[in-house]
Amino acid sequence: MKNKLKLLRVERNWTQEQLGQALGVSRQAVNALETEKHDPSLDLAYRIAALFARPVEEVFENPHA
Amino acid sequence: MLTMSKQNTPAGRRYFIRTMAFMGGYVAVMLATIGGAFDAIQGKPVAWVLALAVSAPIAGQIWATLSFMRDSDEYVRAVTAKQFIVAAGVAMALFSAWGFGESFAGAPHAEGWLIYPLFWAIFGCVAPLVRSSN
Repeated sequence: MKNKLKLLRVERNWTQEQLGQALGVSRQAVNALETEKHDPSLDLAYRIAALFARPVEEVFENPHA
Repeated sequence: MLTMSKQNTPAGRRYFIRTMAFMGGYVAVMLATIGGAFDAIQGKPVAWVLALAVSAPIAGQIWATLSFMRDSDEYVRAVTAKQFIVAAGVAMALFSAWGFGESFAGAPHAEGWLIYPLFWAIFGCVAPLVRSSN
């Protein structure tokens, strides 16, 4: 799923490891999200959106819109 | 088998320790059997105890894998499940093909317990290739 996760992370100068710790997931999970190898669960998508204080659809492109 | 423990997470470390414990027991009993330590009981009903003893670590290893998945995040859980299913499918297909080869083409007999090391050997080959949960 296309997303702005890497952009948002780099804007804050966070490493994948740091973002993973903030979200409670592994660095591998962050990398998989950024490279579109994993579509997040609704719960994780909301956690990411809340962390960056953005609506979910601003972080993740709605493929059905 | 150990590809999952490469992750430097508490779940990965627990998985590594459990894998070493279960596979240590498995290898020890197998080596003792090959070395003739249980020759005296082979062919007798008590040999079933030996068969169950060497199989118990396999059940333990499956428990360790399920525990690793339970304690991991959603991506690791999904990828591990996908790797496990692909490896199990390939192992079953290969072993079934060999079994039919025995039945129809006179292939040499392969012991049933070979499915377990075959599965993990295939898992080791498959894991680096399956990195997407999609």
